[in-house]
Amino acid sequence: MTALLGYLGIMLAMASAFVLALLGMQGVYNPERISRRYLDRAVWGLMAGAGLAMFALEIGLVLDDFSVAYIADHSATTTPFIYKLATGWAALEGSIVLWGLVLAGFTLSVYLRYRRSDEADPLWIGALGVLGLISLFFFGLMATVSNPFQVCVEAASVGCLETSSLPWASAMAPLEGPGPNPLLQNHPLMAVHPPLLYIGYVGMSVPFAFAISALLRGESGDAWLRRTRSWTLVAWSFLTAGIVIGGLWSYEVLGWGGYWAWDPVENASFMPWLVATAFIHSAVVQQRRGMLQAWNFILVIATFSLTILGTFLTRSGIIASVHSFTQSPIGPVLLWFLMVVLVGSLSLFATRVHLVASSPRLNSLASREGVFLFNNLLLTVFAFVVLTGTLYPMFAEAITGSQLGVGRPFFDRLAIPISFALLLAMGLGPITPYRQARASVVWERIRTPLRVALAAGAGTVLLGYRTGYLVLGMMAGTLVISMIVRHLLVTAARAAAKAGIPVWRSLGRVMRSDPGFWGGQIAHVGVAVLAIGIAISANQGVEAQVVLEPGQTVEFAGRELTYVEDFSRVEPNRSVVGARIEVREGSSVVAVLEPRLNTYARSNQPVATPSVDTSLRGDLYLSLTGIGGGRVSLDVFWFPFVWLIWFGGLTAAAGGVFARVVRKPVRTSVVAGEVPENV
Amino acid sequence: MSDGVRRALAGLITVVLATIVVVGVAVGDTTPQDRVQALGSRIKCPVCQGEAIADSPSETATAMMEVVGEQVDQGRADDEILEYFRVRYGDGILLDPPFRGRTLLLWLLPVAAVGVGVIMILGRRQSIAGPEAATTQPEEPA
Repeated sequence: MTALLGYLGIMLAMASAFVLALLGMQGVYNPERISRRYLDRAVWGLMAGAGLAMFALEIGLVLDDFSVAYIADHSATTTPFIYKLATGWAALEGSIVLWGLVLAGFTLSVYLRYRRSDEADPLWIGALGVLGLISLFFFGLMATVSNPFQVCVEAASVGCLETSSLPWASAMAPLEGPGPNPLLQNHPLMAVHPPLLYIGYVGMSVPFAFAISALLRGESGDAWLRRTRSWTLVAWSFLTAGIVIGGLWSYEVLGWGGYWAWDPVENASFMPWLVATAFIHSAVVQQRRGMLQAWNFILVIATFSLTILGTFLTRSGIIASVHSFTQSPIGPVLLWFLMVVLVGSLSLFATRVHLVASSPRLNSLASREGVFLFNNLLLTVFAFVVLTGTLYPMFAEAITGSQLGVGRPFFDRLAIPISFALLLAMGLGPITPYRQARASVVWERIRTPLRVALAAGAGTVLLGYRTGYLVLGMMAGTLVISMIVRHLLVTAARAAAKAGIPVWRSLGRVMRSDPGFWGGQIAHVGVAVLAIGIAISANQGVEAQVVLEPGQTVEFAGRELTYVEDFSRVEPNRSVVGARIEVREGSSVVAVLEPRLNTYARSNQPVATPSVDTSLRGDLYLSLTGIGGGRVSLDVFWFPFVWLIWFGGLTAAAGGVFARVVRKPVRTSVVAGEVPENV
Repeated sequence: MSDGVRRALAGLITVVLATIVVVGVAVGDTTPQDRVQALGSRIKCPVCQGEAIADSPSETATAMMEVVGEQVDQGRADDEILEYFRVRYGDGILLDPPFRGRTLLLWLLPVAAVGVGVIMILGRRQSIAGPEAATTQPEEPA
């Protein structure tokens, strides 16, 4: 029943996507000829079908309907409710269903946004058509090689032995399933991280769709940019938050104390982020100065292609990582789709490039545009470095047959200098005037922040931290933050003097008067805070391995850790053994930590669950590596100021939201005539 | 305080701060433990999925870290220690690809990308010699 319902949803969505694609491809040239009524039905049909498929899958999971093979193989009756829901997207086929749902949601929001306009709107109809084509592909996947609603026709004692693609096949449901992958049911963030990331990933389809539609029509100009700005910002914010939450998940679950490993799949999410960030910046240049028109098409095509590449890397099984799904025939299909997207959109671009050649040229490298170009160079080179480092070992192995290691040191070596240069551009850009910046103007604006940064660096050294990267990181981060704060204060003071109101009241008013700019500055502050957090925790972390007997105490990072006792309990879906560790500072107990080993049903490999005591000064992080024979062995870490990383990352995401959500007020006489510094 | 004195004082403070930073970092404080960690992060844990031995809690990685520690104590150079592991486990054990042979291209590609980018930007810059440059707009109010 569930299978039939879900499969019907997929069929409905696929048919609607097909109609939408047809209408769009016709309407992009002859918008008057297509029927708005059919367009309406196609969009709503896509949404309804996608919703039905996801709904059927979730209902099946909640009700333990093991006649659906996906549910029989990835869930269990004992799986807690929240992880049953999360299983809807935690394995390959389900993740595609979520992808389709998010894509349908974006398509619907694009439709609703411009539905009411009376005049023919070919750019919009064309974009809907492109979204229809992409949807057709993804729902086509679900209908064929990645069918989440295969019926279990022969049950094993646990899980499913044989499946049928026919949704009406008579089912033989097993009594119990193996449950989700242990790593994926060990922390509730797992329910949050993928949807955030998917909204970010899939949201990039919207600017891509408008760009392709503009190319099909041979429309130059920035209409497609202006009209997709809010989707790009929303997608970027979600992608940012998704990556940060993913890092937090890795930190809280994997027990090695890290949050980023340059794992191929982390890279897969980071590459579109980098290119999308470049795109957000270069879109500003096109809108303000008419430059970089062709470049923006390239960036948006690259962003979309990288999201497909990411999907391919994650789902083809060609790499081993915590993220990879099991081997499946979906890999080659995704690779073909990637090829079609790349070849198709780039050749379309090539035939239209004469129409989009940018007009105004760069007056001077010493200008806001100049810094933007520098920023774009850095971000795209960064993305290219990550791409090379991720794919090189695969190609090298395919050609030479022997393994090749490209890991953290390679990425760090290149990423660190690029990141410093980016921070510098981040500080300089917003205070540099457009067109031509006089050195005296820039110096006037940079002088004080430079001293603040120097003071921060000197303070770090005087406190006894003399690692080069840490001091540089502190200085670069402080420079960015103090430049932005100075800029805000100066602008607000000027506006306040003009309006005759106190400065603190004009702060909010100034920020609201240009939400795009100030949202960007909030994001910059977030990235700077993140950079400081990384610099501190990467260079000042302390690690020790200890073995303790009950009652025994060890000193670590100014604290005393006492192994009090062990404990064990049996939960429905897992058995837990752990150690109770008392943490004292001076004479008072500041925390009792319980690092655990969780062993899930039908999995013999226990999953270590670290226990973390978070404070403003830093995290005490205990990871259990072994317990038994009256002793416990622990990996003990002290990471100062880790919270800066999560806080900074989420602040960056909030900046994107600010730029999207805050509406420019209608200019009143109070703010009128104010000349913001950021022109 | 006169303006001149204030400016001189500001300059002096700036110089002092800069000196503290430069000297502090230059003197540095690398301990043998730092070296072991740095080396450990460049060697792949053979039983893990893409983790360095410095990051992995597995027994194999811990044992390998001890070997690194012993060799650092014996005063062997970084290259010698890395070579020791490369000989025993093969090229794939090094997470940090060398600047030669099969991995030369890996290092050269990013450099080439920077080169192409810089040329593209400078290309835009030069074209201002054209008539457009003559109409450079006046400085905007800052």
